Amino acid sequence: MKKFRNILCLSLLVVLMGCNDAIEIRQDGRLDAVAAFENVADLQSGLIGLYAGLDTTPSIAFSSNFTDELSIGFDSGGQGVALYGFVLNAGSGAATSFWTRNYAVIRNANILLNAIAGITPEVGEEAQYNEIRGEALAIRAFAHLELVSHFSTDMTNDSALGVITLDFVPSIDQQLLRNTNAETFALINSDLMTAASLITTQSEATFISRDFITAMRARVAAYRGDYATAAPLAQSLLNSYPIATRAQYQNMFFDADNTEIIFKLERTVGDGYDGQGATGSVFAGGWAGARFAFVDATLTGSPYFEMGRTMFNALDPADIRFDVNISPTSVIDPNYPNGANLPADDILVIQKYFGSEGKPLLNDLKVFRSSEMLFILAEARAAANDFAGAAALIKQLRDARFGSAQPLPTYANASEAFGGILDERFIELSFEGHRYIDLKRLGTLGNRGIARDPLDCAINGACTLAANDFRFTLPLPIVEFNANPGLRDQQNPGY
Amino acid sequence: MKLKLTTLLTLFMAFVMQFSFAQEKTVTGNVTSASDGLPLPGVNVIVKGTTRGVQTDFDGNYSIKASSNETLVFSFVSMKETERLVGANSTISVAMADDIAALDEVVVTGYATTTKTKSSIASVTISAETIENRPNASFVQTLSGQVPGLNITTASGQPGGNSTVNLRGITSINGNTEPLFIIDGAPVDEDNFRSLNPQDIASISVLKDAGATAIYGNRGANGVVVIKTKTGSYNQGLKINYNGSVAFSSLQDNDYNLLDSQQQLRLERDFGNGRGASGNNGGPLTDAQIGQAETFDWAEFFFREALTKNHNVSMTSGGENSSQYTSFGFSDIQGVLQQSTLKRFNIRSNVTGKTSDDKFNYGSNITINYSNSDEPNSIGSGAINRNYILGAYQSVPYITPDDYTNGAALLSPLSFANTPLFLLDRLRTYQRNEEEVKIVGSLNAGYRLTDWLTANVVLSADYQSEFVTRSEGPASFNALLFGGAQNPTSGFQQQLSNRIFTFNQVTSLNSHHEFGKHSVDAGLYTEYFKGHLKQFGFFQRGLNPKTFSPGDGSGFIGTSLNPANGAILFNDTPTANILTTGLFSYFGTADYDYDSKYGFTGTVRRDASSRFANSNKWATFWSVAARWNIGNEAFMEDSVFDVLKIRASYGSAGNDRISGGRFGSLDITEDFFVTGAGYGNVNAIFPGAIGNTTLKWETVTQANIGLDFELLNRKLRGSIDVYEKETSDLFQSRPISAINGQTNLFANVGDLFNRGVDVQLDYDLIRGTSDDDFNLSLTFVGNYNETELQNLPSEEGEIIGTGRNGGKLFEYFTIRYAGVNPANGELLFYNAAGDVTENPNADTDRVWLDQNIFPDFNGSFGLNADYKGFFLTTQFNYTIGVDRFDNDLASFQNPDNIGQFRHSVDILRAWQQPGDVTDIPALRASNRNSVGSTRYLRDADYLRLRFVSIGYNMPSKYLDNTGFSSMRFYANGENLLTFSEWRGFDAEALSNTSRLYPTPRTFSVGVELGF
Repeated sequence: MKKFRNILCLSLLVVLMGCNDAIEIRQDGRLDAVAAFENVADLQSGLIGLYAGLDTTPSIAFSSNFTDELSIGFDSGGQGVALYGFVLNAGSGAATSFWTRNYAVIRNANILLNAIAGITPEVGEEAQYNEIRGEALAIRAFAHLELVSHFSTDMTNDSALGVITLDFVPSIDQQLLRNTNAETFALINSDLMTAASLITTQSEATFISRDFITAMRARVAAYRGDYATAAPLAQSLLNSYPIATRAQYQNMFFDADNTEIIFKLERTVGDGYDGQGATGSVFAGGWAGARFAFVDATLTGSPYFEMGRTMFNALDPADIRFDVNISPTSVIDPNYPNGANLPADDILVIQKYFGSEGKPLLNDLKVFRSSEMLFILAEARAAANDFAGAAALIKQLRDARFGSAQPLPTYANASEAFGGILDERFIELSFEGHRYIDLKRLGTLGNRGIARDPLDCAINGACTLAANDFRFTLPLPIVEFNANPGLRDQQNPGY
Repeated sequence: MKLKLTTLLTLFMAFVMQFSFAQEKTVTGNVTSASDGLPLPGVNVIVKGTTRGVQTDFDGNYSIKASSNETLVFSFVSMKETERLVGANSTISVAMADDIAALDEVVVTGYATTTKTKSSIASVTISAETIENRPNASFVQTLSGQVPGLNITTASGQPGGNSTVNLRGITSINGNTEPLFIIDGAPVDEDNFRSLNPQDIASISVLKDAGATAIYGNRGANGVVVIKTKTGSYNQGLKINYNGSVAFSSLQDNDYNLLDSQQQLRLERDFGNGRGASGNNGGPLTDAQIGQAETFDWAEFFFREALTKNHNVSMTSGGENSSQYTSFGFSDIQGVLQQSTLKRFNIRSNVTGKTSDDKFNYGSNITINYSNSDEPNSIGSGAINRNYILGAYQSVPYITPDDYTNGAALLSPLSFANTPLFLLDRLRTYQRNEEEVKIVGSLNAGYRLTDWLTANVVLSADYQSEFVTRSEGPASFNALLFGGAQNPTSGFQQQLSNRIFTFNQVTSLNSHHEFGKHSVDAGLYTEYFKGHLKQFGFFQRGLNPKTFSPGDGSGFIGTSLNPANGAILFNDTPTANILTTGLFSYFGTADYDYDSKYGFTGTVRRDASSRFANSNKWATFWSVAARWNIGNEAFMEDSVFDVLKIRASYGSAGNDRISGGRFGSLDITEDFFVTGAGYGNVNAIFPGAIGNTTLKWETVTQANIGLDFELLNRKLRGSIDVYEKETSDLFQSRPISAINGQTNLFANVGDLFNRGVDVQLDYDLIRGTSDDDFNLSLTFVGNYNETELQNLPSEEGEIIGTGRNGGKLFEYFTIRYAGVNPANGELLFYNAAGDVTENPNADTDRVWLDQNIFPDFNGSFGLNADYKGFFLTTQFNYTIGVDRFDNDLASFQNPDNIGQFRHSVDILRAWQQPGDVTDIPALRASNRNSVGSTRYLRDADYLRLRFVSIGYNMPSKYLDNTGFSSMRFYANGENLLTFSEWRGFDAEALSNTSRLYPTPRTFSVGVELGF
């Protein structure tokens, strides 16, 4: 009997412990696909998540580091020296960043679009439902445009290779090849047109509105060289978003004025970008101003990049853009260009992203401004050989920025006109991520390329780069070849 | 051998002091060994059923008071216990017979122990003597070099820092590669031993082959390390042992030849950057100014001569039906890096007991440990304001601590060259502390149901509760810098609690049958494991400098608004996490022996893991092992072999920790969505990672053939094992197209082989015939291991970062560096075809190098000598076949750092004009940053005097009437000498990370006293 008792005790020990509680475990706090999107409010949350993937700091970091917008700062720890030396290859972070980040946005957009298709809105929710769908489509188009503008050799050529276009959620084994530009832009345009039919909000600074769609269509058309389409779109936006006054312009970069803002990405304390991000890297993220300095946009903020002398020399102190772009704490060498110690005696601190909400370097990311529309219109006039018309637009902008009438530029031919537009873009859209694409599109037309000040490029001899150089198209990244070796044959020329 | 063993055991026993109480009469006698008639010193003579006892002296004589109705028990390790009734005798002399079964060391095989003769498995057992008194905070570091096939490397000099333990190579790419550690039956966290007291360890057994590890099938894929702590024995008097030591540690040497201030400033002047170029009111320094500069070695500032103190007291006793071991330990250990310390307090209580009919027995082991360590973080990072190691190595020498006033003064001008001052400020204003309570407890109990059937249960738990507290004071440079003028009360305090509780229960029925020369053992088991992790923490921003004190909350500033613009100034964040994991298994074992000549062992088990609850939950693992004790055959009687045994085993074990940690990747079989701060800091839903619905166990199948031998009158002893391990269903990152939003996905694909040989040899070169004679023995431990990948999941059969089919694991794949072009100072590389080029293709010119970071050969050799109580032990560790990137060297040679950091004299050899033949490119070579290459890939093989110990055991004849039963003095050295081509501070670290915290060189002295 005693033996029986002992066996019983032993068996109890085994049984009481059970086994299923050790091997059937559901972790806390998990959300599966079914529970994630149950109604329109959830879709709205999904859209906010999708927006969070949009970021132009990689463009800002890449464009300024690679071109003549900046120079290596006196407080550099070696940040960005490879790009500054025009070193760009399939292993470069720039290639990986643009490729992977945009495809992640596209995938998330497609997942959300699938979820949207699976939900029937309640009565009264239809407008919001449509708005969500329209914005998701616009975001998908925006990511495709960022891809094609960096990875296509020539956006104006329909038969040139574009990028892989995706209007579905791919399976993990899919290995797709590049579509042509015609196919890529067909998807971008159809997404934008559908979005335009779904979105009812006309204008909203930090969310996608009908005006966002118009602005993006104008930009797409300009990138394509289709100025007949671009010009009326740009003109309509210029009508509703006037060029800012000097005070408005300055406040715009403190995020306190939206006169000229068609769309900007909101950046705020506590969001996913509230931090330094990857300093000196195209992977970026983080505060826009941290692309140039570690701490703040002043002399003591550890600027690892400074404004290039090329840009500084192009800025007139009477121009409000001088005040916006250059920190008053900068040390300006009076002996330039004869200073013996350029790095220490000539410290041009970039101030465009001074900070907001009490946070240094944190600013909204300006995506579409009416001045870009003005440039698109000017390009259209230049392309139509209306050089005086183009010059008048440039004068209009300069008058506003100086607060006084400026001389009318004279452009004798298309080359001078495009050159003049590029020069104005250089200082108007500085550090906003445009320079690389602008030189790629218009550099040859306007006879411009990267032209660093000789003192800025003394450290590596990388002073000039012609706009027709192969490096104005990004290489497809190695990381993609690892999974999709067939794409190797579609690598861009030169790499 | 006998004498040597006897001598050793004498030393061991001599620690013991017994208390006797006067009784009726004095019995005297002499104890000898029956086999050779020599006197046996140190034999325990105990009056049965009492705590009265004495030990025989060096001539085997004893004297004890006992009454005539009492019985004397003579016991001695490796001898058969002998009892004599006192009766009318006043002289009782005993010739003790060898206890044949126990003469062989006891071999731990899973949940049972067996004698080495009857063991069919590959295992190595290390006794307390080789672990005790070493000045390492973690016993794992001490194991380094002691077991063939066990490769232990430590990449951090933090006291108690985690070591990487690999047994017979690496069996997983992403999964856990470290063995299972079992302490007294309790599976414990293999990465955290800092709180445990090495002095409590009685033995460590390393189980290597499938036959040995199958019993731990769901966790034994990387081998098993079974640790037993000390216990008392029945019927022994109270023994008290004290052990104290002091250790001094210092930084190991490097071979970087760093510039002094004059050289550094001249380099800066010539290059045109930094103080040398602009320190003279914006102009270059003059020769005179450069000549005046002081050279300050920041390594001497951030590192220090570290002091360590250890105290340990243990008490052992035993009665008729119970025994106990109790110990208290205290250690105060300094790391060689500033702010790096470990203080710990340990208590252990081990109790064993039984019923008087021996039917029921139990043992309980509990240890409670508290440790408090200061542990700097950001080690290895490039943060010039956070990584002290960076400050120690890379700071320019012309800046001195005198240049520091306070954090605010460093803000303007903000300069990289002030790196050491940023870090000096951090030393003063930043604190990081880890406080840990670790409790490991186990209870094992067995009940003999019948003569042949026993029911057993082992319950065990490992609890660790860790609090990490760190704070950055509001007046610190970092707080002022990132807070800015707008937030003058910046700074932060963070606290993170991390509590892990794991519970394990093994319940079994075991049988033992003997008939004739046959014996059969069998067991049926169930095993249940559950692990719980709970984390909680907060990150407080905003501290009031008036009341702030690290760890305290008086100075916390709540959410406050910036009056200027209404923005939230301080945003505090709490964090929390709960994770749960579990395993369940049932299994059976059978063991057969015939006449200690032939034996077979088999195991089969079914295992389930919660990790695969939604995919392939259950898996089956098994093993078979066999042996032939050739030495026990009649025909071997006259051979030179005293022991000769051949073993073979084959079997499998699983690894469910496919991403390393116990709590890693717990439910990656599913697609999930997550919620969090989205656009504009509004709450949002995001798609999470892509799930893998086919996930399963990684399986390691191992074949092993081994030979154990003892020959030439046991002068030469050793074993040789040959093995092949195949890991199938490797859990690894499979590249997927970026169109999926990620560029890789984890999946069970590919095979990894580890093949190798383990060798252990011990040879008694000089074996004295009496205790005062000179003894000298030599030891050799060696392992050769090669890895090979197969069936990798990619079209070309290669995955960059992992390796290629037929190649080594983690084989380097990069562009080969060819040197410097004498014509223009540019870097030269080889393209894929082997031609020299200045502009290689970053993608297509990379080649497989047939090199990786893991050693081909590693092990140790050394000697043990003793003479009249003096002893000397040395252990040289060697490692061959390690190739590492010396990224520290890269920064010492990097011209882009001129003006900010310190350089090696190497950079003075830089190319200057056409025709210069040098190994350093022109400082402004345009392709210096163009591609990654082998330029800094270096051979990191080394030979190191890992351990040397010298000491003296006071012979007991000098201790009479001193109150001590034993006395031992010793001095130890760790890492005293290293021979290596590696130029860095520590050749041992298996890491390509620069700016690591190197392990120190340590010298210690200690005393051990028995009462």
